[in-house]
Amino acid sequence: MARARAGARDWERYGLGVGCLVLPLAVWEIVPRLVTLPRGAKLFFAMPSQIVVALYRLVESGEFQGHFAVSAAEFLLGLGLSIVVGLPLGLLLGRFKTLDDLLDPYVTSFNATPRIVWLPLLILWFGIGIWSKVVIVFIGAVFPLLINTYEGVRNADRVLVNVVRSFGGREWQVMKVVVLPNALPYIVAGLRLAIGRAILGVVVGEFFGASRGLGYMIASAASGYRADVMFAGVLVFMALSLGLTLSVKALETRLTRWRPQATKTF
Amino acid sequence: MDYIVANDLTVTFRPANRNPLTALAGFGLRVARGEFVSLVGPSGCGKSTFLNVVLGLLRADAGEIRIDGRAIAGPSPDRAMVFQEFGLLPWRTVLGNVELGLELKGVAPAARQRRAAELIDLVGLRGFERHYPHELSGGMKQRVGLARALATDPNVLLMDEPFASLDAQTRDLMQAELLQIWDQSKKTVLFVTHSIEEAAYLSDRVVVVSARPGRHKAEIPVRLPRPRDYEMRLSPEFNDLKLAIWTALKEELTATRT
Amino acid sequence: MLNALGRRRRMVLGCGSVVVFVGAWEIAFSTVVRWDPFFITKPSLIAAAFREQILGGKLWKDMAVSGEAFLAGFALAVVVGIPVGAVMGWRRRAEYALDPLLTALYASPLIALAPLLIITMGVGIVAKAVLVFLLAVFPFIFNTFAGVRCTDPLLINVVRAFGGRERDLYLKVILPGVVPYIVAGARLAIGRGLIGILVGEFYAASEGLGFAISRFGDTYRLPEMFTGILVLAVVAVGLTGAVRKLEAMVAPWRAGQQER
Repeated sequence: MARARAGARDWERYGLGVGCLVLPLAVWEIVPRLVTLPRGAKLFFAMPSQIVVALYRLVESGEFQGHFAVSAAEFLLGLGLSIVVGLPLGLLLGRFKTLDDLLDPYVTSFNATPRIVWLPLLILWFGIGIWSKVVIVFIGAVFPLLINTYEGVRNADRVLVNVVRSFGGREWQVMKVVVLPNALPYIVAGLRLAIGRAILGVVVGEFFGASRGLGYMIASAASGYRADVMFAGVLVFMALSLGLTLSVKALETRLTRWRPQATKTF
Repeated sequence: MDYIVANDLTVTFRPANRNPLTALAGFGLRVARGEFVSLVGPSGCGKSTFLNVVLGLLRADAGEIRIDGRAIAGPSPDRAMVFQEFGLLPWRTVLGNVELGLELKGVAPAARQRRAAELIDLVGLRGFERHYPHELSGGMKQRVGLARALATDPNVLLMDEPFASLDAQTRDLMQAELLQIWDQSKKTVLFVTHSIEEAAYLSDRVVVVSARPGRHKAEIPVRLPRPRDYEMRLSPEFNDLKLAIWTALKEELTATRT
Repeated sequence: MLNALGRRRRMVLGCGSVVVFVGAWEIAFSTVVRWDPFFITKPSLIAAAFREQILGGKLWKDMAVSGEAFLAGFALAVVVGIPVGAVMGWRRRAEYALDPLLTALYASPLIALAPLLIITMGVGIVAKAVLVFLLAVFPFIFNTFAGVRCTDPLLINVVRAFGGRERDLYLKVILPGVVPYIVAGARLAIGRGLIGILVGEFYAASEGLGFAISRFGDTYRLPEMFTGILVLAVVAVGLTGAVRKLEAMVAPWRAGQQER
């Protein structure tokens, strides 16, 4: 039996959430001070204060900016390319079934295969300059964009298309008035996924074949047992990833206000 | 006359971050055994809330409610509800859905499947036992809901706008079927609807509930002979009936328009 | 003519385009195009290397090593992820506490911790399994969470109305409702887990499929490298396809909603 009851208060929600975020930081700060750890674990337990100091020093010396610029360039170039290729291709595949049937095996298999597997080949072809990373970012980011655009186009309501046609509208008008607005939320969701994949591509690409970049910084810090520098790099990536993803999510919410049901994407 | 007795019922909802909402205030009703009573009233007037109280899912804040002299303490097999949105478990077949009440009551598999099959046949869905809800039309789904409610052989059948989601033709069909089934079983039925016509056609008595907070506003007895047939809807007596209900209802509808 | 094929059309066109592509590649590289064997290779050589690897046996060993680590990490992700997600979905307080932390972690490239893990835990199966776990656990957590949250309150009321108690609610409504979400989560987790295995093996390993691919790359043995890539692709597509079939089986009532 139920009574109509009151819900939890807002401050409880924020309190618990913030608490859970702060707790690990506190543990990481305090534990190394209290206990002497074996060498391996010491790497793991860099204190937040040390990390902040390391980051500050890196920025001060300009080293950070150098690495960041390289990673940013790879990210933006790769993502830009994936948008330029993925969106139109998604539109075409969604619109022309024959093309979709022809290319489906490639899209499905490339999408299911982890992009990382191409890394050794790309390093072979492009060396350790930025282009191997740009291509990996591209491969990672293009699929969510392509597939989501495709879904968005296919999802256009037949009834609405007929409405536009009944008023004498032509192909491009149908696209402009019905298909694209309908596809937009899907595309933005795809962009959100693509950004995550792009960052992943930068990180992994730079681990294995690079001489510059934040990922390279992390990897070399790790082998030099500089836990503070390493975590500084990881944190920067985390912050960037979070920031970008949340911004796109906010954009998504604004664009999907008219929809009765949210697109489920994880 | 006193099989179901509700006296001075008050139910208030207190959602988080909003003002409390009183759905029923001092609501009273007496229903005789085997009677078919409809409740009509403006949206939000508490009719469904009342059904939930009788069902035992909701507890009143004040007042009392008794069935056959005993207070209601929670859901029980002698009261069953048919829901407006069907409420079928999508991962169960028609058979699996109909036997839900029996299963929860602890009836053995063989026995409950037999009984479920009987009811599926009764509502005209023989052959569909192994189908899933998503393969059925709206009318068929509601028949499953009806079969499920009848499976435990409850004394009281609670129906919350059961035919509202159906198209007009299916609705007429279901009304006729419901009357047929009720004729045979003579259960006590509480039927909530927005349709005056439906209320008048089906019931022995139509109760008009006031706008929120809901009160027992008026009662119109329906003296048409049984069994009812479609042509009765076209008779002058029926029209008088509808007018009487409408007159009582009209005030309440304009009251909610603020 | 194409329309006459009906449903098979998709399969015919798809297979056709692959056959044409491979055929064109082979013919071009065998006749007209001059190519550098340290840079690219052609299908017939890849096929030969494939045959040799399958019969020779090292391929199987590598797959076994990678597979073991992957399964260990994946199993751990299932065992940890589903209960955590379920608790988060069912108890508001758990959600409030864990959601911000987990969202932050999910959005971050946890793979960035790979060097750390490998250096602290060495080059064996443990590090790889932990990496797979870290990546694969999140889809399970979030999807289970979503599945529990999306339980239809109407159905809860229905089961209560017919006399169901707490245990019945779990068994008859929540659990069946959650299964499709969990399976969808598994599909995502597979992809992420595979990334973990590959990164772990590229970085520092002496065995495994990922290691084989990168080693062949280092030694410029392109046909063998493509073989490795092909094997991985087949495994990946196979696993993902199998999970999709499972999804369709487990949730025929959600047949309308598809998501790649």
